Amino acid sequence: MEPVLQALANGVIIGAIVALTAVGLSLIYSILDLTNFAHGDTVTVGAYAALAVNIAWGVSPWVGVLVGMLVGAVISVVLEVVLWSKLRRSGADRVTLIVVSIGLALFLRNLIIFIYGTSSVSYQVPVEQALLLGPVMLTPQQIQVTAAAALAALAVHLILQYTTIGKAMRALADNMDLAWVSGVNVDNVILWTWVLGGLLAAGGGALYAFTRPINPNLGWFLLLPMFAAIILGGIGNAYGAMLGGLLIGVTQELSALVIPNHYKLAVGYAVMIAILFLLPRGLLGKEELT
Amino acid sequence: MNLLSYLLGFATNLVIFALFSLGLNLQFGHTGLINFGHVAFMGVGAYTMVIIVLSGAPLWLAMLVAVITAGAFGLLIGLPVIRLRDDYLAIVTIGFAEIIRMVLNNESWLTRGPQGMFGFPVPFENLGLSPLGHRALFLAWVLLTAGLVFWLVNRLTGSPWGRVLKAIREDETVASSLGKNTVAYKLQALVIGAMIAGLAGVQLALFLRYINPRNFMPLTTFVAWLIMIMGGVGRNWGVVIGSMIYFGLNAATQQFMARGLGPLTGGQVGALRMMLVGLILVLLMLYRPQGILGRKEEMTLES
Repeated sequence: MEPVLQALANGVIIGAIVALTAVGLSLIYSILDLTNFAHGDTVTVGAYAALAVNIAWGVSPWVGVLVGMLVGAVISVVLEVVLWSKLRRSGADRVTLIVVSIGLALFLRNLIIFIYGTSSVSYQVPVEQALLLGPVMLTPQQIQVTAAAALAALAVHLILQYTTIGKAMRALADNMDLAWVSGVNVDNVILWTWVLGGLLAAGGGALYAFTRPINPNLGWFLLLPMFAAIILGGIGNAYGAMLGGLLIGVTQELSALVIPNHYKLAVGYAVMIAILFLLPRGLLGKEELT
Repeated sequence: MNLLSYLLGFATNLVIFALFSLGLNLQFGHTGLINFGHVAFMGVGAYTMVIIVLSGAPLWLAMLVAVITAGAFGLLIGLPVIRLRDDYLAIVTIGFAEIIRMVLNNESWLTRGPQGMFGFPVPFENLGLSPLGHRALFLAWVLLTAGLVFWLVNRLTGSPWGRVLKAIREDETVASSLGKNTVAYKLQALVIGAMIAGLAGVQLALFLRYINPRNFMPLTTFVAWLIMIMGGVGRNWGVVIGSMIYFGLNAATQQFMARGLGPLTGGQVGALRMMLVGLILVLLMLYRPQGILGRKEEMTLES
């Protein structure tokens, strides 16, 4: 029983991070019809920005998380202005956008490699004693990370339900044309969606760096679980993305009890394929996939 | 002497990657299938050939089985996912390639894991040729097989079969309303493309005489995409042109990769090179989506 509970706890931690990072991927996917393969690299950028200020200035990594989030949002907005909006205006189709996002992903990842190299790095924080919570062993940082992720998820909920811009995001993800004729300022909402997605992706990356040393491939390896999460949760639904992320994280960690640890990622992938066939709309989605 | 040897190796690499990209061009350029896991078929081809030949089978048999196995993997991944919309196909194929790489890395009993596989026989090694002579003969052999495949693909894409593929790319609903079994056509394109990638993998293994999972990183797939797009999507000759441009660029920066460039380390130059690959992909899609020589109609920007 104890290994199961421990795996469950680990799954919730990684799942919470995937949940946060997947929100932006899902909203952008549905609002802009953009399958953004560079989203994982926004996660990486956030993590490295957080590490950079923590290591260079010696400030708390939590300040680093905030800086990382800011950097993630700024980069997302800049890319929207100089790249994505241009492509949309020229009427680029979905395939073109996908190829551009791949090029962008290569660029961002290698920019990080150029600056920081490929070896693993972690925050400069004192090592803390792991706590025994009943049968489960957790470090204080793991608990803080999970709490922070829960707080962020709550913030997303409040934004989507109670702010005008959040409601508009949901409306756009639901039905772009209907939202547009209802007088929603589409460009403005798109910009704020990038801000929200960038903040969460980069924040998720910065939180991830608390749980283990990271390298420039961090976002790449999170990308498949993120896609699995949004397909499981139903594309275009922010709650679905969070639920999907949590479920994928837990499934992957639990699977490691019965199959070799290094095939964890394959399990998330198998779940994704199964969902595409059995439940193509995902748990909370409404969009047709084929 | 040294330069000649280098040029022979350069040309061999170029031809192998043109062949690899030719398979992708059949899938994406002609049929519109987004295959982001092309490198998996190359890896399957290379590893199958090496594993079989090391078990004592003759080389030609190992090569044949390798190409067929790569095609079988195309069928395996294609059967469940070929009906999916293009973006899901992209996600699923990329995941497939990552899982293949995971297997290559971890199933050491079969693949020797990260250590890689070597010590297998290669063609023409028992003819008593000088290393240079061997390189030249090997290039001729790669050119011959690639040329043959190119000729076959060119015939196929120019045939009624190839025109159905293009019809599917342009509008699958129209193609199927004309009574074409579009799923079958798409599967055929995927499988043939996978077999071509498998053959490229076989040739790569024979050329390098050593393979390990790092030869089959996702980046290799995107290099093929870059080659195809630079040369012009949907044009078979384009992959040759694209491959020339890519490896020309590669060679131009190779010096600096080893020595560094001013204050930059070799690793940094390598990263810069990959940044350039990404940037060219983005800029081509922004300003010249039909490639350097391609026709605009082959990849329209109008949705």
